[in-house]
Amino acid sequence: MPLDAPVSRSKYDVLFEPIQIGPKTLKNRFYQVPHCIGAGSDKPGFQAAHRSIKAEGGWAAMNTEYCSIHSESDDTHRLSARLWDDGDVHNLSAMTAAIHKFDALAGVELWYGGAHAPNMESRQTPRGPSQYASEFETMTYCHEMDIDDIHDVQGFYVEAAKRARDAGFDIIYCYGAHSYLPLQFLSPYYNKRTDKYGGSFENRARFWIETLEKMKVAVGDECAIATRFAVDTLIGEDGVEIERDGVKFIEMADPLVDVWDVNVGDIAEWGEDAGPSRFYRQGHQLPWQKFVKDVSKKPVLGVGRFTDPEKMAEIVRSGQMDIIGAARPSISDPFLPQKIKEGRIDDIRTCIGCNVCISRWEIGGPPMICTQNATAGEEYRRGWHPEKFPKKGSDDAVLVVGAGPSGAECARVLMERGYTVHLVDSAEKVGGHVNDVSSLPGLGEWGYHRDYREVQLGKLVKKNKQSQLALGGARLSVADVLDYGAEKVVIATGSHWSTDGRNALTHAPIPGIDASLPYIATPEQVILGQKKIGKKVIILNADPYFMAPSLAQKLHQDGHDVTVVTGVELGRYMHFTLEYPNMHRMLHEMHVEVIGDHWASKVEEGRIELYNLWGDGSERRYNGPGRMPRNPNTSHTWHNFDTLVVVTGRKSNDELYRGLKERKAEWDKNGIKDVYVIGDAWAPKLIADSTFEGHRLAREIEEPKAQFPKPYRREVSVFGTPYIPGGFTDIRYEV
Amino acid sequence: MKILVPVKRTASLDDEFEMRDDGRDVDADFCEYDINEFDEFSVEEAIKIKEAAGEGTVEVVVMTVGPEDADEVLRKCLAKGADRGIRVWDDALEGSDQMAIARIIAKVVEREQPELVLTGAQSSDHGFAQTGIALAGILGWPHGAVVSFLEYTPGAPSLAFRRELEGGLEQKASIPMPAVLTIQLGINRPRYASLRGIRQANSKPVDELSHTDLGLTDDQVGEAGSLSRIRRMYVPERGRSEMIQGTPAQQASRILQIIKDVRG
Ligand SMILES: Cc1cc2nc3c(=O)[nH]c(=O)nc-3n(C[C@H](O)[C@H](O)[C@H](O)COP(=O)(O)O)c2cc1C
Repeated sequence: MPLDAPVSRSKYDVLFEPIQIGPKTLKNRFYQVPHCIGAGSDKPGFQAAHRSIKAEGGWAAMNTEYCSIHSESDDTHRLSARLWDDGDVHNLSAMTAAIHKFDALAGVELWYGGAHAPNMESRQTPRGPSQYASEFETMTYCHEMDIDDIHDVQGFYVEAAKRARDAGFDIIYCYGAHSYLPLQFLSPYYNKRTDKYGGSFENRARFWIETLEKMKVAVGDECAIATRFAVDTLIGEDGVEIERDGVKFIEMADPLVDVWDVNVGDIAEWGEDAGPSRFYRQGHQLPWQKFVKDVSKKPVLGVGRFTDPEKMAEIVRSGQMDIIGAARPSISDPFLPQKIKEGRIDDIRTCIGCNVCISRWEIGGPPMICTQNATAGEEYRRGWHPEKFPKKGSDDAVLVVGAGPSGAECARVLMERGYTVHLVDSAEKVGGHVNDVSSLPGLGEWGYHRDYREVQLGKLVKKNKQSQLALGGARLSVADVLDYGAEKVVIATGSHWSTDGRNALTHAPIPGIDASLPYIATPEQVILGQKKIGKKVIILNADPYFMAPSLAQKLHQDGHDVTVVTGVELGRYMHFTLEYPNMHRMLHEMHVEVIGDHWASKVEEGRIELYNLWGDGSERRYNGPGRMPRNPNTSHTWHNFDTLVVVTGRKSNDELYRGLKERKAEWDKNGIKDVYVIGDAWAPKLIADSTFEGHRLAREIEEPKAQFPKPYRREVSVFGTPYIPGGFTDIRYEV
Repeated sequence: MKILVPVKRTASLDDEFEMRDDGRDVDADFCEYDINEFDEFSVEEAIKIKEAAGEGTVEVVVMTVGPEDADEVLRKCLAKGADRGIRVWDDALEGSDQMAIARIIAKVVEREQPELVLTGAQSSDHGFAQTGIALAGILGWPHGAVVSFLEYTPGAPSLAFRRELEGGLEQKASIPMPAVLTIQLGINRPRYASLRGIRQANSKPVDELSHTDLGLTDDQVGEAGSLSRIRRMYVPERGRSEMIQGTPAQQASRILQIIKDVRG
């Protein structure tokens, strides 16, 4: 096709064709698959607002997160939805009602976890196809079901399905992906039975098929029956493989299912499904998913971090799948369908694939956050709409110093609100340290965070000629800021990596570390190529996230021999973002040596002295003042390097703020009403949290003490109001 | 001492655009307007000279030829530190080419009597690179074109500069005052206006003059006073492009085919 062919306005039309799923109709092909947000049934307002904002943004269907069908499947400390009783029906119906207002469908993902559900709240014992210890959850075994147990548990699905219908759900799932119960029966990895529910394919499929039949009988006339199926568990023939049991099960269950939701992987490594951009591109599951349409007569949907409308349209047009499923892209931009429909492609807030959303579920259920979309999770409790903003509350002009994640977001939202804003950065580009980070191997897509803001700011400054994006100029001094003529000043000057080895373990510099020396480098110096790096590199790490592993990868790729010495678990936060397994596979592949549980006592040219963190003896005693209560640590050894890279900790760039604070007496005569600090300049944090802070301040800048957030609306149970209608709340003992 | 900086409001195109009905320009609805990029540098150079000299020694006057919309570029210069503005316009000026514009500027020079005129080396939309030079010609002043470095102390009888030549060469020169220089991109780092500057700009004077105020007759301006006339503006036919697909071997043979075709 010639590149200058006229662009048809209808090239995305296939994405807006309705499609029938059982008794219901999806109005288009945009479908929010089940994903956690930290609301469940406990925070109905959050649940209703987060899902319905997507309904407003044009998605045809929104699902809950996984939704427990019974107290025997309790995922505490993680937070699922629940449909155990009428209290849950009441709370979840807030979500269905809110979604229905936008002419969209609401779905619920009925879940029974087997041994993967630790039942820490309910203290019940989960049941499973065979007895096994979960490879995902610590210390939980399930009880192997007999026939009575099987009927019990199938009954749980049916009763929950009826409650789901009563709560107003249009789509009801039987959840058999991510290694949950139906898949445990199907997969020989878990199912070791020898009765009619184990052994042959037909037998292993029986539990799932029967459950679907029972659900269909119970609610199938009124609701669409969906099933989520991991068509390949990615462990070869020990589990489910797409071209064997995968397609066979699709054929067998096809008549019982109104819509297929297909993905790959298991629960212990579910980053193979929710693939981080560091390792997986858009559509990474298609090589497995594409088999499903060959054998199914029903609509098929699937995920794969679909962010690009061209790709989505191609998938539907070419018949690989009928419906575009999305979790992360829908969080990052709840208005994705509407923007595509209106041809506003450059307004899409593209998911960067960092998986910080997921990290919150993995940590155990705090509200979900999103790096790109600061309003995710704040819809209800703070009343933040992702696309609409309150009009400015004054004619104050605002100077924002620093165009990194926090400053750029703050300026963007202030401009959306109608404020005159000057966003100033000495760098030539918007983005701050995201520009550095996105140049690290595998992190290119993180640059979408900058791109979105860059494009939006570019548009916004054109709307208000008084506003200005002042990039690439000299750094503003305290005097410059005082003299700038802004009523309000926002400092977003970011942070830097420690140059003296200051770290979270000793809270002190390390003797001999000084990044002005030629053989010692900070992450910035490595990334910007400001230092000559020797052949043998030691990375000294006390940061729990991606910087040390990423630098190890970069330096390995550049031909260096890399050893990482780490005083904290290397890449600990990457457990939560699901990057951990493949990050470690990669370090292994690259022969990067990792020396864990060690820290450094001093550094000299070419060598570093390390000690084992546990080398000070297990015995603790009082030895008198000035004496350590343990043995002297005698585990010190010297290790040679050509270059030492210090990833020990970060420090706010707060000189400008502190300088302004010192001259607070001059603010008034210079017309300055207040000065705020956001993002890393206040304290180093996740990009998501910096972005949030910028956004938060921009929305609340009229508040008298806007440096600190307004209280948000909390959703907690009210004492005196029983959760289940007819219950009681006073203290009563069973005696 | 006074420096005159003529600036232009230039157009840049949206991604998609249409031509005007008469086919002689782009439809203004599809343009975005801003100060000519080159002029950002000439303004900065003038302000630097002003700042280096003592308070009140140098006055920087910015001027433009254009309708009321063009005020915004003057305000922008005033916000950065220029002292006052002059905007020359009336309907008769429509259609003036670079020669006619130079003639208008020359009249402003007569009126203002600056010692130095700094123009941009060219405009970022039409790119004639003639206005500054034509102005020097009309005035009979010494000039330097495409100046990339300037050394000048107010009051000195001459100025020294470097200018860019083709092939990476540079030329050092000095000329006596008064003089006209056309300024090249990159000679300095143009500043951004502060909020205070923008506010102050609103109260700085901008004189509005017509061609008759400057003592020009109708046939000296507009199309009548121009040496050239734009007949048509159009998008030339673009080269073809194609997406090469298939196995590496298929792609290679397709590329080979294209090379053969192009070579004929
Ligand atoms: C924050 C988050 C929570 C998730 N929770 C669930 C869940 O409760 N049930 C489920 O089946 N999948 C869950 N997933 C997986 C998604 O449904 C989806 O399969 C995965 O994210 C890949 O889709 P994507 O590439 O569009 O994000 C979750 C994903 C995210 C991002």
